[in-house]
Amino acid sequence: MGDIILTMKGIDKSFPGVHALDHVDLEVRKGEVLALMGENGAGKSTLMKVLTGIYKKDEGTITYEGKEIEFENPRAAQAAGVVIVHQELNMLSHLTVAQNIFIGREIMNGQIINDEKMNEESVKLFQKLGIEIDPKEKMGNLTVGKQQMCEIAKAISHDAKVIIFDEPSAALTEAEIEELFKIIRDLRDKGMGIVYISHRMDEIKVITDRVTVMRDGTYVGTLITKDCTKDDIINMMVGRVIYEDPKTQSAVAKDAPVVLKVEHLNAGKMVRDVSFELHKGEILGFSGLMGAGRTETARALFGADPKEGGDIYINGEKVTINTPMDAVNHGIGYLSEDRKRYGIVVGKSVAENTTMATLKEFMSGLFINKKKEDEVAWKYVESLKTKTPTVDTEVVNLSGGNQQKVVIAKWLTRNCDILIFDEPTRGIDVGAKSEIYTLMNELVAQGKSIIMISSEMTEVLRMSDRIVVMCEGRKTGEIDIAEATQENIMQLATQRN
Amino acid sequence: MEKFKQNPIVKKIGFNRIVLIGVLILMYFLFGALCAAMGRASFFTLARVYSAMNYAYFMGFLAIGVTFVIATGGIDFSIGPVMFCSALISGYMLTKQNVPLIVCLIVSIIVGTIFGLINGYLVAYLDMPSFITSMASMMLAKGIGSAYTKTQSVSWPQGTEAAGWYRNLVKIGNGSAAIPTGLIILAIASIIFAIILNKTKAGRYILCLGSNKEAVRLSGVDVRIWEALAYILCGMLAGIAAIFYVGAYTTVQPGMGDTFNNEAIASCVMGGTSMSGGIASIAGTFIGVLIIAMLQEGILAMGFQKDYQFVITGIIVILAVYADIRSRRRRN
Repeated sequence: MGDIILTMKGIDKSFPGVHALDHVDLEVRKGEVLALMGENGAGKSTLMKVLTGIYKKDEGTITYEGKEIEFENPRAAQAAGVVIVHQELNMLSHLTVAQNIFIGREIMNGQIINDEKMNEESVKLFQKLGIEIDPKEKMGNLTVGKQQMCEIAKAISHDAKVIIFDEPSAALTEAEIEELFKIIRDLRDKGMGIVYISHRMDEIKVITDRVTVMRDGTYVGTLITKDCTKDDIINMMVGRVIYEDPKTQSAVAKDAPVVLKVEHLNAGKMVRDVSFELHKGEILGFSGLMGAGRTETARALFGADPKEGGDIYINGEKVTINTPMDAVNHGIGYLSEDRKRYGIVVGKSVAENTTMATLKEFMSGLFINKKKEDEVAWKYVESLKTKTPTVDTEVVNLSGGNQQKVVIAKWLTRNCDILIFDEPTRGIDVGAKSEIYTLMNELVAQGKSIIMISSEMTEVLRMSDRIVVMCEGRKTGEIDIAEATQENIMQLATQRN
Repeated sequence: MEKFKQNPIVKKIGFNRIVLIGVLILMYFLFGALCAAMGRASFFTLARVYSAMNYAYFMGFLAIGVTFVIATGGIDFSIGPVMFCSALISGYMLTKQNVPLIVCLIVSIIVGTIFGLINGYLVAYLDMPSFITSMASMMLAKGIGSAYTKTQSVSWPQGTEAAGWYRNLVKIGNGSAAIPTGLIILAIASIIFAIILNKTKAGRYILCLGSNKEAVRLSGVDVRIWEALAYILCGMLAGIAAIFYVGAYTTVQPGMGDTFNNEAIASCVMGGTSMSGGIASIAGTFIGVLIIAMLQEGILAMGFQKDYQFVITGIIVILAVYADIRSRRRRN
């Protein structure tokens, strides 16, 4: 390990309503691989965005190669040698490999693009990485692994000194990961500082030299990888502090009937052979890391995305669910994680959104009975304590928590018995959050059953009666709330094949 | 100004619509003044008004139809040629194949509806972009209409002929005592379609899916039926528009009609229907149509060719879309 090349000190960043980074420190040395770890929402990506100039920091200093700097934008960061290899590859699939690598700074021959020269330069880059890719190949024809290599080639073509890998292995096969690691070690040995963001505990042990852990926007600590165990890292990630009282015992009777049974559900890469049961009056938590396949499972179950196989039983009876309409007719309601895209019609009123799934019941002959519609909308505005001036107010004018209540009102109007809450409190302030929790508890007390997908550990432990944990599209375990701890959930959430 | 906007009557009618009506009245007097200044015959005659209205009738049906499609967030570029295709096929049946008039009128509506069904199916069920499908059906309509009549133009009967009673749909009688039946029918149709758009399940779902189709689908609604319905209504109205076109002008030529698309769409946009879907107003479209008709008549009265009208319509569309985007940005 060499000298320090990059230091971030006391970095502070707030967004309206969120303190995303609270005086975070980070130190990268030449010739090392530093793992940056933390749960979803711990602030890893925000920190990297501050570094590369996508966000402006509120406080703190960044020292790079001995000088204090602040990059204006990612381009300036690149030019100085700080580059990110994104998880989502930013590739133009119809252009060639070389054209992609040199996009935005094409090698010119007067006013004409010099493709030949770009191809030559690409080959040189690939040679440096010890890989073989045809620079004239269309990007779209390459495997994801090869595309990643091109992204790395692009990064080093900027004469990079610090390379940040944001979950690079997420989409790669074992063999591709091997090759990736070989390249990373190679770059490290050439003296580059490498930041490696990943959730995969095993990889961290294999590839990194030190581990910096973040939690809830704060810096927790840094460990030397070879001196620590997986459990040490997990403990640091989840922390010992629990902010809200977790549930200690399931509120569901042992003999509560099964209202929903899912067997061997398969849908794409993200839902592989998932089976579970939901009891009457139960809140079944779905835990896992980002990309574990929880939302995909919910969407497949709800008929929003096509399934490849699997049986669904409602109250013991086998049902066919191919479209959301089928699901709704069987009494399932789905609150999406992305309210604005999938939950509400923002340009329409509270009343119109409330009756969206039940319009049939509000018809007087051919016409919508506006009076009846408004009455029901008001009923739910009052019972859910939705803050809105009138029911004719467009929901775009409501806060996140109140928008969520409108979506809940929609499904309550439909009288759904099975509700899927996908990240029900995402982007909602603390006060509204506890209102949503109270509401969920009321609903199950009334005999409704809830599947709650949540990336917040405290939320899972506070609300669930039972917890299903997923990882990479598979169900890796099921824990009764009485036995659940942050540690054993995280253990299952990182249990990969 | 703010006070005027907040006035309950103004709010009820809609500030934008009041502005549009103002523009309409202003245009009327502007054209009058221009005609006088250029030494042309007076613009302020009843004949001019009737002539402008002739243009407004068929344009009105086209524009109401396309308002529904635009409300879903789609577009239909086929309505003009579909209208001509309807008029050609039914007119050829009437004049060359001795089919009774009433059947021909129904055929006209059916032909339009079939095109609507095709567009609706392709867009709603096969997920094709409406821009492309309606371009394709525009060409189909031109080709089929032209092939059916063997590339002949078709002249529908004059009012004096036995089979000429359909012209009473546009106007009964002549001169200053004439009853503008077309205006009455268009006004009633506007009210009916405004009610469909605002008070029925179909209208509600069409507007909602135009705003956020996926959210409506995930509410368990079969969005495909409602999206297709918008295109079907649009096609049907193009078939009805054909009747009012021949009622006013009698002669239809094959291979034409595309210019009417743009004017119908311009009417909608002027009237406050948002090109990105979700927001639509039949009353606004109605006033937009009157403005387009007035424009057509005014340019004609001044002795200019139709190309001037295109230039002005083009500018109006740009301004209207710009206003729409700006108000949208402010809302978000």
